[in-house]
Amino acid sequence: MIYLDNGATSFVKPPAVRAAVLSAMAHCTNPGRGGYPAAMAAADTVYRCRETAAQLFDCRPEQVSFTANCTHGLNIAIGSLLQPGDKAVISGFEHNAVTRPLHALGAEVIVAGRRLFDWQDTLQCWEDALRQRPKAAICTHVSNVFGYILPIDQIAALCRRYGVPLIVDAAQSAGGLPVTLGVWNAAFVAMPGHKGLLGPQGTGLLLCGREPKPLLFGGTGSNSREQAMPDFLPDRLEAGTLNVPGIAGLQAGLDYIRRKGVDKLFYREHRQLENCIAGLKRLGLKVFDGPHQAATVSFVPRGDCEEIAEKLGRRGIAVRAGLHCAPLAHESAGTLQTGTVRVSFGMNANGKQTEEFLRILSLL
Amino acid sequence: MKTEFITFRSVTPAQRGQRVLQRAGVDTLIQRTPRWMAEKGCGYCLRLRPEELIRAVDLLRRENVPFSKVYATVGGSLEERQV
Repeated sequence: MIYLDNGATSFVKPPAVRAAVLSAMAHCTNPGRGGYPAAMAAADTVYRCRETAAQLFDCRPEQVSFTANCTHGLNIAIGSLLQPGDKAVISGFEHNAVTRPLHALGAEVIVAGRRLFDWQDTLQCWEDALRQRPKAAICTHVSNVFGYILPIDQIAALCRRYGVPLIVDAAQSAGGLPVTLGVWNAAFVAMPGHKGLLGPQGTGLLLCGREPKPLLFGGTGSNSREQAMPDFLPDRLEAGTLNVPGIAGLQAGLDYIRRKGVDKLFYREHRQLENCIAGLKRLGLKVFDGPHQAATVSFVPRGDCEEIAEKLGRRGIAVRAGLHCAPLAHESAGTLQTGTVRVSFGMNANGKQTEEFLRILSLL
Repeated sequence: MKTEFITFRSVTPAQRGQRVLQRAGVDTLIQRTPRWMAEKGCGYCLRLRPEELIRAVDLLRRENVPFSKVYATVGGSLEERQV
């Protein structure tokens, strides 16, 4: 299979990730509960991952909470900052993981910036929106549909200037671009563990710059006599048994990224992105590209996007078509009716695969 | 023999504390907090040698590692101690 759906999850994971998952299943029990060796091995596994993530994302280990995925983290973050009827600013490229919790909460949503790859317009729109004194701002770092890298450093600076707490959705950037809780001074940064961080599915991280409200209530192995959830991190957000095998795999993924270097991985993926964009243009297709683009590109094929993806899939090429759980982003780009085919490169990107994808696409 | 105790609310701060002390050359053991010391129920503690207690507490404070209480041997029995 030629795998070009890294926006959904990274695949195939490094062998060390698989080995770590298996090892945890053989040697670890429940962390933070018992004191016997297998329980402490689990606690040590979890803490090492917390510590590595803290180093990578510029925060303290206890500010790193484990979640089931990025959506889980975003739900916690949004629920922590907003009440029904509160005003929230979001970018024009948010995923349903942001818009649905806001809808469920009954928040008043201001959409800021809908032009792809245009930082000047994006920043102007954000400043206008922040002047309306929202209770929170939520911004994706990279559009999952178009790969647009939003000017998050500048948006974070604007949020600080206007005193608006910021939630960053790093679903498509963690592991591929610098992500920092400290420099952004963000309220929360949510990310999956299984995309750019190369961990197993079912893992995620929420970096907490503010005190969160728990989404789950239950046992934490601490303050057991109290019925209220602990008021300290990470216990406040980690009720129930953690996904230790997943976290062990995530730790191996983080180690892999540290060894290879975020910059190197980005360069490798980006070179394939450029080849792909050039090839798609040669085929005369409508391609969404521009400056500030991560290793993801969307195009409008000749014919139904889902049918094209289906045909590609039958020929061993994995891409994602449709609305990518981000109707707002498609609305912003004018592709809500047609949808797009998305090609997203990962750590295994190589020129041969890109050429083969383009060759097969040209035959359809 | 590690006989003095520094207690923590949960395993994560205890682990962070252990790392901080380890880097400074203070050897500790991490374990569940004895029930009678865990006022709110459940927690973890670090056991260490008596002669390292003061330095350890100082290091934890300097590194902002939140701990709950300190227990030291006084007259043959363990008692809470203000450090």
